[in-house]
Amino acid sequence: MSFFTRLLRSPEGAFGMIILAALVLVALLAPILFPGDPLRIAGPALLPPFSDPALPLGTDRLGRDVLAGLMHGARTSLTVGIAAALMAIVLGALVGTAAGFAGGLIDEALMRVVDAFQIVPSFLLALAIVSVVGPSLPVVIAAIALGAWADPARLTRAQVLSIRERDYVAAAEVIGMHPLEIALKQVLPNALPPVLALTSVIVAAAILTEAALSFLGLGDPNVVTWGSMIAEGRNVIRSAAFLSIAPGLALVVTVIGVYLFSEALSRVIAGGRARP
Amino acid sequence: MDHAVSRRFVLQSTALLLASTALSSKALAQDAPAGGRLVVAADSEPKSLNPAIVASNGVFFIASKVIEPLAEASFDGENGLAPRLATHWEGSEDGLSVTFKLREGVKWHDGKPFTSADVAFSALQIWKPLQNLGRIVFANLETVETPDDHTAIFRFSKPTPLQLVRNALPAVTSVVAKHIFDGTDIAKNPANNQLVGTGPFKLAEYKPGEYYRLERNPDYWGEGQPKLNEVIYRVLPDRAAAGSALEAEEIQLAAFSAVPLADLDRISKVPGIKVVTKGYEALTYQLVVEINHRRKELADLKVRRAIAHAIDKKFVVDTIFLGYATASTGPVPKNAPEFYSADVPAYDFDVEKANALLDEAGYPRGADGTRFALKLLPAPYFNETRQFGDYLRQALAAVGIDAELVNNDAAAHQKAVYTDHAFDLAVAPPVFRGDPAISTTILVQSGIPAGVGFSNQGGYASAEIDGVIATAAQTIDAKARTLLYNDFQRLVVEDLPLINVAEWGFITVARDTVLNVANNPRWAVSNWADTALQA
Repeated sequence: MSFFTRLLRSPEGAFGMIILAALVLVALLAPILFPGDPLRIAGPALLPPFSDPALPLGTDRLGRDVLAGLMHGARTSLTVGIAAALMAIVLGALVGTAAGFAGGLIDEALMRVVDAFQIVPSFLLALAIVSVVGPSLPVVIAAIALGAWADPARLTRAQVLSIRERDYVAAAEVIGMHPLEIALKQVLPNALPPVLALTSVIVAAAILTEAALSFLGLGDPNVVTWGSMIAEGRNVIRSAAFLSIAPGLALVVTVIGVYLFSEALSRVIAGGRARP
Repeated sequence: MDHAVSRRFVLQSTALLLASTALSSKALAQDAPAGGRLVVAADSEPKSLNPAIVASNGVFFIASKVIEPLAEASFDGENGLAPRLATHWEGSEDGLSVTFKLREGVKWHDGKPFTSADVAFSALQIWKPLQNLGRIVFANLETVETPDDHTAIFRFSKPTPLQLVRNALPAVTSVVAKHIFDGTDIAKNPANNQLVGTGPFKLAEYKPGEYYRLERNPDYWGEGQPKLNEVIYRVLPDRAAAGSALEAEEIQLAAFSAVPLADLDRISKVPGIKVVTKGYEALTYQLVVEINHRRKELADLKVRRAIAHAIDKKFVVDTIFLGYATASTGPVPKNAPEFYSADVPAYDFDVEKANALLDEAGYPRGADGTRFALKLLPAPYFNETRQFGDYLRQALAAVGIDAELVNNDAAAHQKAVYTDHAFDLAVAPPVFRGDPAISTTILVQSGIPAGVGFSNQGGYASAEIDGVIATAAQTIDAKARTLLYNDFQRLVVEDLPLINVAEWGFITVARDTVLNVANNPRWAVSNWADTALQA
């Protein structure tokens, strides 16, 4: 059975995949369905949802289209989530492999750095970095990734420690392969699958962190994000609750989708290893 | 006059107005019940609470109940003033001196008597060298003579208009005690936070992050004042919380628009709560677009005029301020009738004209529809300044200017704009304080060192405008001085060193039981000696 079929067989996997596919579709179609800046003023302010077919989800305090904001916000959320997770995984895998493979002093040194990052709550770290460097999308992504790379680094190191004792690694050493080649070609690829299962968890956490940063006014003010939509809606929550509820629901659905997908993914990876 | 709505109150005030129009507010204040604890929402905890050093509304809001100025703004007093620590003031014909008669029988909270030495000390050691506004108003103050304990004669090296000194009294002349500050490092004196004043309330307790507690001063000079036993400022940094706290009767008053504008309509319908729009007439905030004239595009008058034409002031007033503001015509707000002049050019909202001006200036639209890109820094102090930043970005996009928003916290914003000049456009909320020479001319005057907040840091210099400012600063005759400021307004609006968009006062929301709310034009930052609670 192929990997994907197995993934889709489980109800979580199927459900998660559907949600994620829909999100990606929305993110890709946003500029076509809602061309132009989603932050531009499109109609009268505080139009309630379902009252004007041209603005189906109504407008916010300044008359910006809520639906356009949601669609374009999906782009920001997914971009941040995926980019931050990618950065965290690449960084973590490299550091973990180096530590596990080199051992000794290098291992000690690298792991203490990992400790340092692991003991700082990742949200506080992101908050500090963004408020010092200034809020823009690349900074937000880097700040989130810096708070998330420690877990994959530890996991990779543990995998590498176990794999490097295997016979085929010893064989590679015997035939005279360069240690770097062994690390990157023989060990890393085999150590990665469990680390990859961590990806989706990081994506979900990154999306939430980005939303929280934007909510606190530390997001990029030039792009629309769900977090900033909730923050702006909060001022009028008693009179126009939909402004906070709509992006909040989008956030919930996205995170549930990512988690379901990650659940199924790790199960498939674990199952695949149980039946060699 | 008062905006309270209880029937008894209206009847009382009507009866008293019939009896004596001039004394109505005083008489009312004495009729109001004594006692009780007023709980107020506070949205910030200033680093220094000394109003003699930091003359800002955030400080006054709490400190003005403890430390008093020489005179307070008033709706019906002579020249718009009501006496406080000074009972009478008179300027000399040559503008070189002003004589203050001081109130007798006033005691500091520690029991020592208040004398002219305290006024002389405050003026020479604090207002002139240390205070943000006093530096300008008292720039030419040379000495303060104290022939007796209750007379202070201010002597100036150059003519200083009495009109300016008068208009500056409420905000600039908070008197502190000489015996507390003399001979100490004033900036580091603990009394900057543990205030000792002459006011109707004593600062009893401060719990950071929780509350300030003010206690009744039993020795206050005002007869039968203060009415309240206690005033508690509950620190509620979350603006959305103030409205709910009022409804739950956890607090009884939220000033400075602590309740978001968007919530006013709803909360005004809640029984037992009143929304008061008066009481901020002398604290007009202005919504201003600051311009960095070092950018070559913005140094071009046509571009600045194009930006002025691109802004829809009606949208700003109706949508951002929900009608609780007025469109500006120039640097002096309409509710300062003493100085306001309508005789200025108007830049009506006209996107086509803006586009034509930009084409004419030599900045055609590129292939992507933009002419040039700018950095726009909205001041973070108010929801409205941020929202206007969002709006301005869109308004500029409509004329082909790509404005990138840069959000900073308050400290970083001040550094970026007023010290580092790292902005192209900024949104600022300066305050008009009763006279253009106090905090308005500084916004366009040249030669101000970097680092001075709310001043011209955009590199703008106009010899003509500087000339009018300098002449007016030494023109004694109030009429001639006012005419010069009319010129000033016309010149500023013609040349647009900055763009005035709107002006607004704040909103107070209070429980109906709070009496004598908004009975002077600086009410939120006045001493609240006559504020009372209905039992």
